[in-house]
Amino acid sequence: MTTLRENEYQLLRALADTEDAILVADLAASLSLDQSLIMAAGTTLLEADLAEMQEQSYEELRLDSDWRKLAEPELPERLIVIGLSKAGGSATIKELPGHTGLEQKIVGQSLRFLTGKGWAQKSGPSLDLTDAGRAALQQRSADEQLIDFLKGVKSATDAELAEEGIDWQGALKLLQGRKNLVRTKERTLRSLRVTPAGREAAKNAVVRQEVNQLTSDMLADGSWRDVDFRPYDMGAETEPVHPGKEHPFRRVLEQTRRVFLEMGFSEIVSPFVESSFWDFDALFQPQDHPARDMQDTFYVNRPDHCALPDEAVLEAVRRTHEDGGDTGSIGWRYRWNQELAAKPVLRTHTTACTIRALAEDPNPPRKVFSVGKVFRRETVDYKHLPVFYQVDGIIIDEEASFASLLGTLEAFYRKMGFDKFQFRPAFFPYTEPSVEIFVYMEEKKDWVEMGGAGVFRPEVTETFGCKVPVLAWGLGLERLAMFRYGLKDIRQIYISDLTWLKEAKLCR
Amino acid sequence: MPVVGIPVTLLTERIGADLSPDVLIEKLQYLGCDVEGYATLRRFKCLRCGNIMEITETQDPPVRCRRCGVDYADHADERQDLGDDQVIRMELLAVRPDMFDPGGLARTMRGYLGESLGRRDYAVSGPVARVTVDPALDTDACPRPAIACAVVRGIALSDDIIKVVMNLQENLHWALGRDRKLASIGVYDLDRVCLPELTYRAVGPEELSFVPLGYDPEAADSRITPRRILEEHPKGTEYAGLLAAYQKYPLLADGEGEVLSMPPIINSEHTRVTDGTQNFFIDVTGSSRRLVGRTLNVLVTSLVELCPDITVEQVTIAYEGEELVTPDFTPQRVTLDVAATGRLVGIDLDAARLTELLQRMGHDVDSAAGTTLEVDVPAYRNDILHPRDLMEDAAIAFGYHNITPVLVPTMTVGGERPVEGVARVARQTLCGLGYLEVMTLQLTCAERAYDALRLERREDHAEVSHPISTEQTLLRPTLAPGLLDTLTANAHREYPQQIFEVGEVTELADTDTGAVERRRVAGAVIGEKMGVTEVRAAAEAVLREFGWSVRTVSADLPQFLPGRGAKIVATRDGDQREVGELGELHPEVLEAFKLRHPAAYFELDLTTLTGHR
Repeated sequence: MTTLRENEYQLLRALADTEDAILVADLAASLSLDQSLIMAAGTTLLEADLAEMQEQSYEELRLDSDWRKLAEPELPERLIVIGLSKAGGSATIKELPGHTGLEQKIVGQSLRFLTGKGWAQKSGPSLDLTDAGRAALQQRSADEQLIDFLKGVKSATDAELAEEGIDWQGALKLLQGRKNLVRTKERTLRSLRVTPAGREAAKNAVVRQEVNQLTSDMLADGSWRDVDFRPYDMGAETEPVHPGKEHPFRRVLEQTRRVFLEMGFSEIVSPFVESSFWDFDALFQPQDHPARDMQDTFYVNRPDHCALPDEAVLEAVRRTHEDGGDTGSIGWRYRWNQELAAKPVLRTHTTACTIRALAEDPNPPRKVFSVGKVFRRETVDYKHLPVFYQVDGIIIDEEASFASLLGTLEAFYRKMGFDKFQFRPAFFPYTEPSVEIFVYMEEKKDWVEMGGAGVFRPEVTETFGCKVPVLAWGLGLERLAMFRYGLKDIRQIYISDLTWLKEAKLCR
Repeated sequence: MPVVGIPVTLLTERIGADLSPDVLIEKLQYLGCDVEGYATLRRFKCLRCGNIMEITETQDPPVRCRRCGVDYADHADERQDLGDDQVIRMELLAVRPDMFDPGGLARTMRGYLGESLGRRDYAVSGPVARVTVDPALDTDACPRPAIACAVVRGIALSDDIIKVVMNLQENLHWALGRDRKLASIGVYDLDRVCLPELTYRAVGPEELSFVPLGYDPEAADSRITPRRILEEHPKGTEYAGLLAAYQKYPLLADGEGEVLSMPPIINSEHTRVTDGTQNFFIDVTGSSRRLVGRTLNVLVTSLVELCPDITVEQVTIAYEGEELVTPDFTPQRVTLDVAATGRLVGIDLDAARLTELLQRMGHDVDSAAGTTLEVDVPAYRNDILHPRDLMEDAAIAFGYHNITPVLVPTMTVGGERPVEGVARVARQTLCGLGYLEVMTLQLTCAERAYDALRLERREDHAEVSHPISTEQTLLRPTLAPGLLDTLTANAHREYPQQIFEVGEVTELADTDTGAVERRRVAGAVIGEKMGVTEVRAAAEAVLREFGWSVRTVSADLPQFLPGRGAKIVATRDGDQREVGELGELHPEVLEAFKLRHPAAYFELDLTTLTGHR
């Protein structure tokens, strides 16, 4: 026994009513189904040999986009015939616009159709009406008949036109050379006819109900077992949707924080407005150091003054700067000025944060880090901003060494997704030995500098009573993000294009 | 950092070892040089003044002399093409001026490669002259107390060496002199200087006059006073700022009273160095005796490296109550603990190994004591303040690339700051509601933070004293300008838009620095169907995650449409806190930010809510 879906069964029943083939369009109308559903059901019947399909091609004609311009109210050659007739059967071409209301250009373009139909002939500058032209006044040509008919309908088939007695093929010949007036298209007429097997099946087929939607009710009463679910087009595409997302650079910042947390570091913080003391002096940066110039550092006029640590700390820092104090150094040998140390700046590095932590508790073992914004007096361009992020960290440990600094940095960059490093000597006023970290960028086929690090100088640590090595680093993070997300312009991070935010890949 | 071009031939000749181009660059990098790569420079000589100019492959030949100004369009025959020279381009390593020129750099490389171990000795004789220093130079009226001098004879300078020395002098002015402020170098034709007695003294602005370099001694009115030099000589006006606070000016003169120079501004025409000059008098003046001494040492020893046949003679500097002799090549003695060095660098070292490493860095080492080394540091090194600096030298000689990275063995327990957990919850909540996170600049200006928001200007924000742009004058007191700027920047993107930021705002406070950060979250929605309902729901969702309920209290807030602004009050167990504001933005605010659709905004202070900063 044949099992059929509802639509298939209905279709088969309709076909089985007659021996004849029935047009798909007629089936759609009689069954009140969309033609695509008739075709889908028909395909099943065809595959099961319950029906067969007949195809017949035909021409479909309809008026094209420019017909109003070209044929309203009449074709121009007819207007000319009428005009010539009124003018007594002859007129010069120059006079015709006056007689017809047509532009000279249109008149010129129409002459070949006029003579082609034999309605007029040229005689010097004049145009004379022929007998055929006079006859045409009473009679419409084939192309006109076609246009007249099409004006009343959306489209017409060749068969319909033939039935109306319109010589559509002749009309098309006459219309050759007139673009966008009448359009023809070859179409196929499909009809279905029942097979003997189909006629048999129609008598005893079993119908399965087919539904679109699985409903809660069906689940509740178990009726889902008795129905078929109409298959969806699982290849169909959907409109893209975008979730609310964290900023790509936030991912880098959070990953950086997570890496140091994983490595047993505690997170610390310090204010954006910082005293020159903590930003520079405590780090053994001499007061005439170029980094302290107004050119490079944002000084702050509100608040206009920072409180300094107690006298003993100030005295230790003063002595270290001037002659090395008790640190074993010869110092910078100049007169240290406490007032300069009290000047507020926007912190130029997060090392201000780590040195504060060191001063607060210099006792090993300690591992702290800070991810935060720092400020440099840079003009905004594609690679510079006056504000950017750094991660600074320190390790205060009896066992700390330059080798364990390199190991820590390597561990960090490995966790950030890099696997080739170079450590090159560098110079920073507050670390010794100092190192710059380069990572290998496949995209650039080159080494890229990522940040600086070193062992805090004894002039820095011993001034605050710390007697063990202190490993320190300050690493830029925007550059890392720019490489990760393929950004060419650092401003994209802070003045973001929402489309980029939506489409940036959070994971690679 | 300035970039210098080290002529490859001059360098490799003096290194003496056969290094391939790639290996040479690698070794330089191991020493800490920031090498950009090889390049070709073309040199031109000005036949009128002897100046040598370099251009890169992409530059056009000079159309006029950068020193004397002669126009080669009219005087084509005065520009001599010296041809191409291959150089290694590298950034100057500011702390190692002894590696600025091919002579000094080759000296370091020879040691590093093991071609010559230990400290290089430089022969000196003399003293052949004596400079008496006026105590007035060590006063606030004329604070340039230090001077160091040398006499150098027998230099036959080729054009390429002349350019190297010119570059070295310029780069020493930058690195050690801070553009002549801390130290400036003068070079004179020795044969025009009357030895042995010279004076370095402070003179009044009108006290005397002389013909400055570049002025024609035959011309009338070419002898001018220090005051006029500062007012009208090109170098005088360029460097006048250095002497702005001086009431008197430094002056170096010889036994006949002929002026050599007015440091740090200009030499005299009388002692001008010409193409044929072979004997030189050199001085360095500045603020500290050590610095001028080291600067002179770098210059003189590099000259010897470049021109080995020259002789160097000393000069006595007679300060009040103390006499020094310069150049002074006496090494600096530093005691270094062998075990401490190994521990700090993290490598296995014994006295013999450390001795070899330090010798390769140009130091002399006495290892007799075994556990400690007595290290003699060359007198041209200006960067050895502490034994730690020698530990770095040892690490560099060992090679950073040869150090095995390890981790600190000590266990520590880490932890994040509580405010970061707070911020994360706020971000996750708003992401869940479909808001996109943005990050905006910390700096803004009063026009945006107040005026554009229709707010009264306030003064309780941190303010920069010399901003780099008028749009970045203060630390943001609110997140609003950044969020609204982001909407402006996305005016052409699809609507509606929902964005948020979690970030710091700064307020003045009674702390040691006078200002402190608070953590805030703010969100903005824009588009026809977006409004107060959306932002209120979002604010409530955030607060709910922290266990607070929300009450919105209608308030007259200028940034919002009248009747459409409210204070956000968080409530929990009888506790009430005003934590923020929300509303539909006033059309004038929208206009100020060039926004063409209705928008609503909320801002919550997470610090008030949670107590965490």
